[in-house]
Amino acid sequence: MKNCISKPINRVDAPAKISGKAKYIGDIHFENQLFAKTVRSARAKAKIVSIKTPTLPDDYYIIDKNDIPGINRMRTVVSDHPIFAEDEVNYIGQPILLVVGPEREKIYEIVSQIKIKYKDEAAIYNLEEAEVKKAVFTEYSYSKGEPKATFQHAERIIEDEYRTGRQEHIYLEPQGITGDYKDGCMYIYGSLQCPFYIEGAIQDVLGWDSDRIRIIQSTTGGAFGGKEEFPSLMACQVAVASIKTKRPVKMIYDRDEDIICSTKRHPSIVRYKAGLNKNNEVVALDIDIKFDAGAYSELSPVVLQRGMFSATGVYNFPNLKVRGRNFMTNNVPSGAFRGFGAPQTIFSTEMLMHNIAVKLGTNPLDYKIRHLLKRGYPTCTSGKIRDEVKLPEIIEKVEKMSWYRRKIGKHKKFKGVGLSLFLHGCGFTGKGEATIKGKIILKKNGDTVTLKVSSVEMGQGAETCLRKIVAHTLSLPMKKVICETIDTGLIPNSGPTVASRTIMIVGGLLRQASLELKDRWNDANEIEISKTYKHPDFLSWDDDKFEGDAYPTYSWGTNVAEIEIDPVTYEIDVKKITAVYDVGVPIDEKTLEGQIQGGIVQGIGWATIEVMNSPKGKLTQHNLTDYKIPTSMDVPEIECEFIENPYEFGPFGAKCAGELPFVGAPPAVAAAVSNAMSVPIRNIPITPEYLMELDKHED
Amino acid sequence: MVDGFRPADLQEALEFRARHPSIPIAGGTDLMVQKARGFGLKPDFNKPLLFIGHLRKLRQISVRDGNIHIGAGVLLSELIINDKISEALKMAVRQMASPPSRNLATIGGNICNASPAGDTLPYLYAVDAKLILKSVSSERIIHIGKFITDPKQNTLEHDELLTEIIIPNKIFNVSYYKKVGQRKGMSLTKASFQGLADIKNSNVLDIRIAFGSVAPIIVRSREIEASIIGKPVSEINAAVPEILKKYATLIRPIDDARSSAAYRKRVSLRLLEDFLSKLS
Amino acid sequence: MKIEFVLNDKKQVIQVDPASRLLDILRDDFELTSVKEGCGEGECGACVVLMDDKAVNSCLIPVGNIEGRHIVTMESFRKTERYKVIEESFLEAGSVQCGFCTPGIVMSTESLLRENPKPGDNEIRDALSGNLCRCTGYNMIIKGVKLAATRGKGLW
Ligand SMILES: Cc1cc2nc3c(=O)[nH]c(=O)nc-3n(C[C@H](O)[C@H](O)[C@H](O)COP(=O)(O)OP(=O)(O)OC[C@H]3O[C@@H](n4cnc5c(N)ncnc54)[C@H](O)[C@@H]3O)c2cc1C
Ligand code: FES
Ligand code: FES
Repeated sequence: MKNCISKPINRVDAPAKISGKAKYIGDIHFENQLFAKTVRSARAKAKIVSIKTPTLPDDYYIIDKNDIPGINRMRTVVSDHPIFAEDEVNYIGQPILLVVGPEREKIYEIVSQIKIKYKDEAAIYNLEEAEVKKAVFTEYSYSKGEPKATFQHAERIIEDEYRTGRQEHIYLEPQGITGDYKDGCMYIYGSLQCPFYIEGAIQDVLGWDSDRIRIIQSTTGGAFGGKEEFPSLMACQVAVASIKTKRPVKMIYDRDEDIICSTKRHPSIVRYKAGLNKNNEVVALDIDIKFDAGAYSELSPVVLQRGMFSATGVYNFPNLKVRGRNFMTNNVPSGAFRGFGAPQTIFSTEMLMHNIAVKLGTNPLDYKIRHLLKRGYPTCTSGKIRDEVKLPEIIEKVEKMSWYRRKIGKHKKFKGVGLSLFLHGCGFTGKGEATIKGKIILKKNGDTVTLKVSSVEMGQGAETCLRKIVAHTLSLPMKKVICETIDTGLIPNSGPTVASRTIMIVGGLLRQASLELKDRWNDANEIEISKTYKHPDFLSWDDDKFEGDAYPTYSWGTNVAEIEIDPVTYEIDVKKITAVYDVGVPIDEKTLEGQIQGGIVQGIGWATIEVMNSPKGKLTQHNLTDYKIPTSMDVPEIECEFIENPYEFGPFGAKCAGELPFVGAPPAVAAAVSNAMSVPIRNIPITPEYLMELDKHED
Repeated sequence: MVDGFRPADLQEALEFRARHPSIPIAGGTDLMVQKARGFGLKPDFNKPLLFIGHLRKLRQISVRDGNIHIGAGVLLSELIINDKISEALKMAVRQMASPPSRNLATIGGNICNASPAGDTLPYLYAVDAKLILKSVSSERIIHIGKFITDPKQNTLEHDELLTEIIIPNKIFNVSYYKKVGQRKGMSLTKASFQGLADIKNSNVLDIRIAFGSVAPIIVRSREIEASIIGKPVSEINAAVPEILKKYATLIRPIDDARSSAAYRKRVSLRLLEDFLSKLS
Repeated sequence: MKIEFVLNDKKQVIQVDPASRLLDILRDDFELTSVKEGCGEGECGACVVLMDDKAVNSCLIPVGNIEGRHIVTMESFRKTERYKVIEESFLEAGSVQCGFCTPGIVMSTESLLRENPKPGDNEIRDALSGNLCRCTGYNMIIKGVKLAATRGKGLW
């Protein structure tokens, strides 16, 4: 029996979007507005010797570090990125100053007249160089069991290395923010994911209290993590500009600029040493994870943490040692991107398991099954798997849908099938949720209920699903449940819209509040209920030792990819993806399918065609002509199903779902390519260029 | 202030061309991108624009003396649905750009833009297409290979316009085309291959081979083609290594944002090999 | 240069630099903000409008080229019966997430259905290949277009 909350409804935000009425930040005209254009570093690492600016006409301004009243750093996990460069620059594209004025043409002319003199310094361009020069931002490690002793007695030791590439979000709407300083208050409007992150960042930069700062979200044209920390930087810049000019200042990036300076998915190298027992099972694993964090650390430490805590995938390796390092390079900073470090390590570990199985001559699925986590097992960080792990059911279902075993048995060159198993930790890592203490408010007024949260709609369907949770609980029609505008002056801080936490954490609070409201419904015409997140007592986490429950629970999944390779050109054609997930209980099957379809296609893009190189710190692919994402002609048929597994603490049993689908596709596709070509795949993206080289070496 | 001129007809266009330095603009799909400066900014042209996309005379497809004459202003989307156009050319055009940009882009623009990645070019080189270049006072007809001299360079005079493309009346019963891009939908060419052949009674009566995107200009060699013409198809297999070796010296691709020189070269030769293998 | 054209069924005469992009004229001068800019180089399709009933990228069009043409944006297309069918179908099929690509996709859909009221799967994929969408992965859009074609039988 399907849970009736899952029954699909139409999205509440869609009609305005389909008709073109929805207003994105570039569509909103501000009375008296000025435009801003950023002048950026042309060098990967240099001292700024001098900046020569032309005489400015009336109404045109230059805004730089000297205009910042407070701290010249963007507040985030590590607040190291300058709002405007001081005496040095550390990557090509780093913001140095803004030119602000009423006419875009004139601004452009002024920008072209600004002359910056640099003194170049030795730069670091990639992970290899960074390791040699020991340019480490963060280093963490944790272990479990007796890895050292187990390796000594291992029957067999396998060492291997995997690499994943840089990826750009390509949210269809480029970044854009407007700052408006009015009546002593700062109003920030824009395309954003985390209103309260921006509020905090503005506080630091202006030295103000939050009561004079309002962050207001405009319709947001996709984000995927790309609008998590980055808009804070732009917001601080336009805020300072608006104070100086006393007018609204609007800054909309064009695509090239957006690609050049916005954050990317961390390129990674993951090294393994696996110790096998006499049954050929992996009993000891040493994992060494390296991420290219780019020029500033920002929120890379937490990306690395999720990468490290996801590195064992769905497997139980009793003896484990994991080291993770974020390296400093003079590349554009890496940051949040759907999956947040987990896609890199899950890909690597899935491929390690696949490649070991192939080497041993066994079916990869059977080999993986011998290592699966089960309820009651310890997690990689010695926490506990508390909820039922329905991987056996998931596997059985995908097998029935895709005939994986039969297909892998009938091997044909240039045709392949591959399977991945994966999980995603729900909500913030470690003590994240306990620290943030998300808060929500539910307000009844007559027969209408308003929900006040800071979780934003950015395409993923948050507004529809959160309203649905409340409406369903109170048996109200959707139109009687409305969302308060995302305006930090009107909403409580329920935390950022990240980490697939919106439904499980924020939705969970809304569900509690709705149940309470239901009980009290007839008490008064106006009722306000607020709820604050309480971390369940049974979860423990030691942030120094990385020990305990890194996540309250996990969502799980499997993908089977079927691919064909052009025997002449090595082009990969992904024909079909079959997917089964356990996300607890789907809150809305249609919205969820949207996340799955979109996430899988983004994952396929990362695994196959999305190439972004940065030789000497300069991106080779910096526009949509060179950086290719999948089109309608590139996507396979995608069939997906769910296994219900209600989570006690999630609303209606829901867990996390937004990032999970991205994670599974790359290793499934890579395993299929490996199957088709009979070569181990260790790197993504798997371009035809890379495949041709592999094929040459193997024959 | 850069302005422009919209002539009423071809005559007026050519007169304007003769009197003023100008940039002809047809669909603008190449020019508007090449001169783009960013969101909300006007493209930067240093000469007045001469709008020619609307000129009737340039929009016709006709058959004269058995040859097909394609007006320079014919849209890519029109080529795809016109029954005078060969399937081989349609196949290339269908894979160019995207449907909305094919409703703007012209064949003349693709030729005059003279990019080694221009996708109509391998076909036009292979069939020995000729171009009619007109000025107010003159008209010349030249082979496409004489028109394009280098990447982005052609021999168009400042007072001329390309008005027509002539596809000689010639039938090929084998046609092979492959465009290798970064993805299946809308993609610029990493490498492309056009093979045409006329096979009768198991003999190669004619063969044409052209490679796109793997050298400064389209690669075609009459000499190598001549060495294959006249051979019975049964002998081609044995000649393949030699043929590949000869083309290998002509294929000189580069590394760029979209692919590597090594891949482009290897894949071009594999496509040639595949084409030749299909003849017998 | 003086340009005369029809915009959303209304005749317009404008005095402009003919090299200006149609996209900027529509967004800035006529405030037709359903037309989006996602790349400015013909790659994304967010700026697609109809020119004489055919989908075109407005970022690639110099306004000198629109003399005498009929340009239609979502601002007027959304009043039609055909639009209503597309809207309902997209809603039902879950074809929309962030929505930034959507107006362009609706325009390409209209252009396709006018030419081919009963498109097959591959024809839809080809027709939308110039409209990037980063959110949906396309399959649910394809489904929406198919649904519209079935429901709107006789309208196209
Ligand atoms: C998103 C996108 C994708 C693309 N994909 C492809 C692709 O896959 N394959 C491909 O080959 N191309 C591609 N192109 C390039 C372009 O669309 C084609 O080259 C197109 O055919 C150019 O035609 P046009 O009429 O738009 O040229 P325009 O931009 O109008 O002109 C191009 C050049 O030709 C000159 N010119 C035009 N007509 C004449 C004439 N009659 N006489 C003299 N000079 C003339 C112009 O002065 C200019 O120098 C793509 C472009 C874009 C924007
Ligand atoms: S803005 Fe015109 S195609 Fe992207
Ligand atoms: S819905 Fe976001 S890009 Fe298509």
